[in-house]
Amino acid sequence: MKTQRASWLYLPLLLMAAFYILPMYIMLSTGFKSFAEVSLKTMWNLPTGIHLENFQRAYEALAPNLWNSVRLVVPAAIISSILGSLNGFVLAKWKFRGADLIFPLILFGMFIPYQSILIPLVEFMKRINLYGGIWGLVLTHVIYGIPITTLTFRNYYAGIPVELVEASRIDGAGILGVYWHIMLPLSIPSFVVVLIWQFTAAWNDFLFAVVLTKPASWPVTVALNNLAGSQIIEWNVQMAGSFLAALPTLLVYIFLGRYFLRGLLAGAVKG
Amino acid sequence: MSLSRDRLISIALVSPSILAVLVFVYGFIFWSVRVSMSNWVGLLPDYSWAGLANYRNLMHDPRFHIDVRNTVIFTVLFVAGCLALGLILAVLLDQGLRGETFFRNLFLFPMAISFIVTGVVWRWLMNPAQGSRISGLNLLFDKMGLDFLINQWYTTPYWGIGFIAIPAIWQMSGYTMALYLGGLRSIPDEVREAARVDGASEWQLYRYVILPLLSPITLTAMIILGHISLKVFDLIVAVAGKQLPLDVPAIYMWTTTFDGGFYNRGAAIGILLLLSVAVLVIPYLRYTLRTEAEL
Amino acid sequence: MASVTYDHVYKRFGDVTAVNDLNIQIADKEFLVFVGPSGCGKTTSLRLLAGLEEISDGQILIGDRVVNDVPPKDRDIAMVFQSYALYPHMTVYDNMAFGLKLRKTPKDEIAQRVREAAEILDIDHLLDRKPKQLSGGQRQRVAVGRAIVREPAVFLFDEPLSNLDAKLRVQTRAQLTKLHQRLQTTFIYVTHDQVEAMTMATRIAVMKDGILQQIDTPQNLYDKPSNVFVGGFIGSPSMNFFDATLVESDGKLEVNAGGFRLEVPGEKASAWAPYKGKEVIFGIRPEDVHSKQFTPPGILESDMTAKVDVTELMGNEIFLYLLTGDDKQFIGRVDPRVKVDSGDQIELAVNMGNAHIFDPKTEVALGE
Repeated sequence: MKTQRASWLYLPLLLMAAFYILPMYIMLSTGFKSFAEVSLKTMWNLPTGIHLENFQRAYEALAPNLWNSVRLVVPAAIISSILGSLNGFVLAKWKFRGADLIFPLILFGMFIPYQSILIPLVEFMKRINLYGGIWGLVLTHVIYGIPITTLTFRNYYAGIPVELVEASRIDGAGILGVYWHIMLPLSIPSFVVVLIWQFTAAWNDFLFAVVLTKPASWPVTVALNNLAGSQIIEWNVQMAGSFLAALPTLLVYIFLGRYFLRGLLAGAVKG
Repeated sequence: MSLSRDRLISIALVSPSILAVLVFVYGFIFWSVRVSMSNWVGLLPDYSWAGLANYRNLMHDPRFHIDVRNTVIFTVLFVAGCLALGLILAVLLDQGLRGETFFRNLFLFPMAISFIVTGVVWRWLMNPAQGSRISGLNLLFDKMGLDFLINQWYTTPYWGIGFIAIPAIWQMSGYTMALYLGGLRSIPDEVREAARVDGASEWQLYRYVILPLLSPITLTAMIILGHISLKVFDLIVAVAGKQLPLDVPAIYMWTTTFDGGFYNRGAAIGILLLLSVAVLVIPYLRYTLRTEAEL
Repeated sequence: MASVTYDHVYKRFGDVTAVNDLNIQIADKEFLVFVGPSGCGKTTSLRLLAGLEEISDGQILIGDRVVNDVPPKDRDIAMVFQSYALYPHMTVYDNMAFGLKLRKTPKDEIAQRVREAAEILDIDHLLDRKPKQLSGGQRQRVAVGRAIVREPAVFLFDEPLSNLDAKLRVQTRAQLTKLHQRLQTTFIYVTHDQVEAMTMATRIAVMKDGILQQIDTPQNLYDKPSNVFVGGFIGSPSMNFFDATLVESDGKLEVNAGGFRLEVPGEKASAWAPYKGKEVIFGIRPEDVHSKQFTPPGILESDMTAKVDVTELMGNEIFLYLLTGDDKQFIGRVDPRVKVDSGDQIELAVNMGNAHIFDPKTEVALGE
């Protein structure tokens, strides 16, 4: 009886799977076609062989932007993770007066539509001479990343027994000692979660990038959107470009998916 | 003594972050509010007082009316679609089938991709061309003999925005599934067993026990998806560019400010967006933080 | 009301056999307790009966009906879970009414039955509360109430008292016994606590490693353990065991344990005579080791001396941790008037009438 029930359940699952795979299929199969094969008529056909022309063309067009993305995302993810960890530690285990008021204030920053701060942000960056380049964007991602990194770390640290903090204090550790010797080593898994999450978020961002950077500093999302909007670039190259732009986060997802999922769920505020 | 020194250190550790958030979130919001009450048009800042004029103008702006309507249609379809699909997938995956991990990862992977990539791919899938230039899903439907499904996608008059919800659901339903799956896994086996011994069929088990226990998750998902939906911007731009029938407040804000130079109007739209998100999120934050404190 | 039969029941999880050839006939209205250490298969046996696990081999019958393929909801059983498994989103009333609602019982009958059960369990003032708002003891009673209202043929209990504090556990034990008398239905109860088993059961089934060791009334189980495991498991502190030989000395049978010798008097000698010259495991309960100074009347006495290691005054008695001549530790429960200190020698009177011998290889009881 059980096996019978199980097997028909695969039908809806496979149907759904098709829906999720479809865009991936079109992206890859088109990407690997030769220029000669590319035609809207034969869009759904498999490529006759593995051709890399599309990827080469797309890479030529996007390479500087891909590197911009890397140079932007790595420092942004690292710095906001460190800040989040410090905040989370203090807010969970070393509460000062008003900490319970500060936390929701920080948290709200995670949800605001960035359109509501965009004009001041641009003005501010212009005034401090960070407008147009990568570092202004890094600063922006670091600061608007603080809410979610703080939340994730706070929830994680809150789950660590107070006795652990108390024991290490009796053993002679001050606040920095507690953080460095106890909390930090324990929160390595959380660091992975937060780093991945920030990496993905910053890599996939479009809004901040398009408003704050000039073409020379465009990250890949902005460049790809431009590529797609232009009438000159063939759609097969667009597909290959999309794949290149998605590849880093996809790899992270494939190899560190477990952590990625935890990052996702942390965003739901629940501890 | 050492306690108060530690206290000082603790404040020193968090104050840069707190200061940054205060300035970049609350300071900038305040600044935006100020801009929204000014006459700033063009590249040079102009803070002369305009009161609520910009907001009043928006209320009578036909483009903003289209935006609101589009946002409502998109939000309803997007949230409902994600919830339904996410719940169905989670329940299916909770049956302990072989290959569960594979399917779970498959449903989740779009989450790792940017809205821009999703948009670029779906713009070709949802190519509205028909007849001799038919392509994308329309072509697939044609080949499979499902001609009745062939349609104009996002170029459909009036309802076009609704089709943008499809790639959005494609991208975010895995997230809803993960939330629901987490919820399902947190229901103790003994509770399910108790219901079975009590006489519940599988259907009744879900209807009377499991679904009610998942309702807090539905609320969470609605808030998160709802606020994403209010902010939707890059997906539409990547699928269809900036065109009026598919306009939403976030796009209007962007074009009017950075293409048109109407900083005053752009700021007002931004603030209205913020208010609508706040209505959704603040009660939710209060509720979750309070229940957390009770535990 | 129904009998329950386990007929050559097996349950295997991969390579592990959790229940191994279980055969039990449980009569209608019995209060049967499965007892044993964790992992012995007692809970699995109960879950097989509930239909929460599939049987690997054999048959289970409720009444005359083979229920192997019957889903839990159609077995006419109710179950109280260890964690109580109350539905968190329902009030106490709805928790209790849920099973009846699913069976389309008329509303007024549901109300009446819930109210009756609530009164029996003294939870009628809690009907509008949610499980979160209840204490542990109250939750436990709601779980029992949810089972009662169903009026099932068989009640199943899976360690229902293990999450209660010691005092509440004693009270609840008595309430469950009364409940059984009142409901006149078959109760099947799983616990790892032999005191619960002894105090409530009409019969106890002792299990170990998936195998039923012995099934009998509490008194018989205590008096005539069928093997070393049962002898050691039932009773607290545990029975003392010694490797010994039965020898004849001066025409009398003696237990020679190396560190001490005990004469086997009277009818015990004739019962044990066949094992003369053989190695045995000698078992004696602490309550049958008395101080010679205060020997109770009417016991089949045999004397020995031992060294006192530790004394524990319990008020109404003293637990003596004793050492034999070859430094093996054993326990005696002696009269509180005994005055001894650590290191003293003490004269003991052992009640050989309640002594046991077991086969050293099979550990099965001999000479009963």
